[in-house]
Order: sequence, then C-alpha cells, then structure tokens
Amino acid sequence: MSDVQSAYAELAAARGLEALGSFAPGPLTPLLVEGKGEPLRPALRGTLDDGVEGVVGQLAYKRNKTFRFHLALTEVPAATAFAPRVFCIRRGRGTRDDEFYGFESRQSKLWTESKALNERYEVATSPYQDPNWLRQLFSPSLVDWLGTKPPADFSFELAYGALLGSVEADDPGADGLAALCEATAHVATRVREECEE
Amino acid sequence: MQPNKVGIGLIAFFGLAGAAFAIVPILIGVPGEVAGILASIGVIWVLVAGGLLWYARRQEKKSARNDWIFRQGLRGTATVLHAGSSATVNEMPLMSLRLELDVPGQGTREAKRREIMPVFVANRMEPGLVLPVYVNPGDPDEYVLVW
Repeated sequence: MSDVQSAYAELAAARGLEALGSFAPGPLTPLLVEGKGEPLRPALRGTLDDGVEGVVGQLAYKRNKTFRFHLALTEVPAATAFAPRVFCIRRGRGTRDDEFYGFESRQSKLWTESKALNERYEVATSPYQDPNWLRQLFSPSLVDWLGTKPPADFSFELAYGALLGSVEADDPGADGLAALCEATAHVATRVREECEE
Repeated sequence: MQPNKVGIGLIAFFGLAGAAFAIVPILIGVPGEVAGILASIGVIWVLVAGGLLWYARRQEKKSARNDWIFRQGLRGTATVLHAGSSATVNEMPLMSLRLELDVPGQGTREAKRREIMPVFVANRMEPGLVLPVYVNPGDPDEYVLVW
C-alpha cells in the first residue's frame, strides 16, 4: 500500500468514511476540467466535517508533467442563484488563463476589495456578480479564517453549487487530508449560511 | 473589461510591422517589384490591425453597455428552459439558451441567448437552472445574464 493509500485508509478509519475505490465527479469546476476527466483515486465518501457530506480523493493527471491534487467535493446548490462562480485560489498556483485570446470580454472578474484576502488568494467571480453578496460572504471573520487556518495550499472553487476544496501535494498525509476536509466543510457552511440570510 | 495584452499586442504588431513593410523598402531604395510586394503585405497587415482595432472598440462599447445595465438594471432571475450547443470556439461550447426571464415590474417572458462558455459552465446549463439577470428598465430585450 502506498503512502497516499495509507493516508486515505487512516482518514477513512478515523472519520468513518466509505471507500469508493474511484470516483468520477465530471467537469464541475475548472480544476476538474483541467483534470481531463480523470477520476479521483483513492476516494472516500461521507461526512467531511461538521455535518457536511462529500467526497474526498486524489486527482492525478498529466499535462506537461503529472499534477497531483487532493480534493474535497461537496454541494451547496442554493449558491447558484446568488453566486454562480466564486474561485478563491491560492496565489502562485498555476491555473490556465480563462480569457479569450485577444478582444472578447473576460469570463471572470477579479475581486480585490479585501487586501487581507488578496495577500494570500486570488478571488475571481462571474463578471456581473453582485458585489454586496460577496462582501457579506467574505466577512472579516471568514477572511481572517482563510488567511490563518486552512492548509497552506488550500484553494476552493464554487461553481453552480459544487464546492471543491483542494490542496496540491504529492502526499499530504492523513492529517493534511483531514485539514482539507475541515476547511472545505467550513467554507461550505459559510456559503450555506450566507445563502440562507 | 477590455482587450487583453494579447489583443493589444496583435494590433501593435500588425499595425507597426505593416507600416514598416509598406514604407521602409521605399525609403531605403529597394527595387520596385520587391518594394511593391512588401508594400502590399504591409497594407494588408495595416488593414488587419484596423479591423482588430474596430472589433476591440466594439467589444469595449458592448462591455460598457453591459456595465451600465448591471449598475442601473432591474435584477431578476433567468430559468434555463433549454440549452444546446452545435459549435465550439477556442475549445469552448457556443451555447444556445432558451430562458424564462422573471423580472419585478416586467413580468415573465421567454428570451433566447447565445454565449460562448467554458466547459464546466456549459455542462451546468440544464433546464431548471436559475441564474441572476439584470434587465434594462427601458428595454426588456436588453439584459445581462450572470453565469
């Protein structure tokens, strides 16, 4: 059993998660599109943290080299009506350009109102996202939490109700996977609360 | 929302290189036939730069108009009734959407829309999906779909 498989087995045992073998989430977010349809393997399903259900697994795909991410996927369907897309990506992580090459309007807009948030993350939304809703979502407490609590490489993508937390690492260990689950569940809970307000 | 660096670079390249092709051979006394060929290429490139500039300006105006609708428009919802794609642009599907717009004060009506969307967005365009929309108060046919 590899180190990664051991870490997932340890996480499953500690949290009572169901081993899926592999899980194909489909192209729900930009990172999953980037993964070219590769399934999550290993993959576990169950409660990520704090009552939030989801799947956690490893995504490995090749482009010019092999990329390895560990993902936690959950659903917040109510978010679509408020914010179809919110991407909070750790600065420095390589992501593909989402612009047209030349003259078309951007398909996303950077949200730069929070200096503290933007020191660590690049936040992008739909070009015509309601800024008030974003201000409420990224409350001072969430910004403070995002800046200090999640795993170092933590990023999340919220796209049409699918919330994908991720860290880019070869072997984050069981503790790293648990931190990923907790961080993703925390964001999911925060988004859900904001949708309900 | 404006032309990105690639767009500006393309305009600059075709404009400057085209002008150079058209003028420099004549100034340095290149023989007539060669100078004519280079000048022809130069003129074509300058025309390409002009076309790109016109397109970029048009896109900027469109973006400015959408910005105005976003700021001044009535907020409502757009429910996807039908979504399909029969073409792609830069590996992104060109989506044809049939929508039901529900805007306070304007009632409910159907509208059609074509948008080039990233794959992960296009896959979510299914009947029943509800998206925010901003509609020009004076012209219900003019709206910004938030996707």
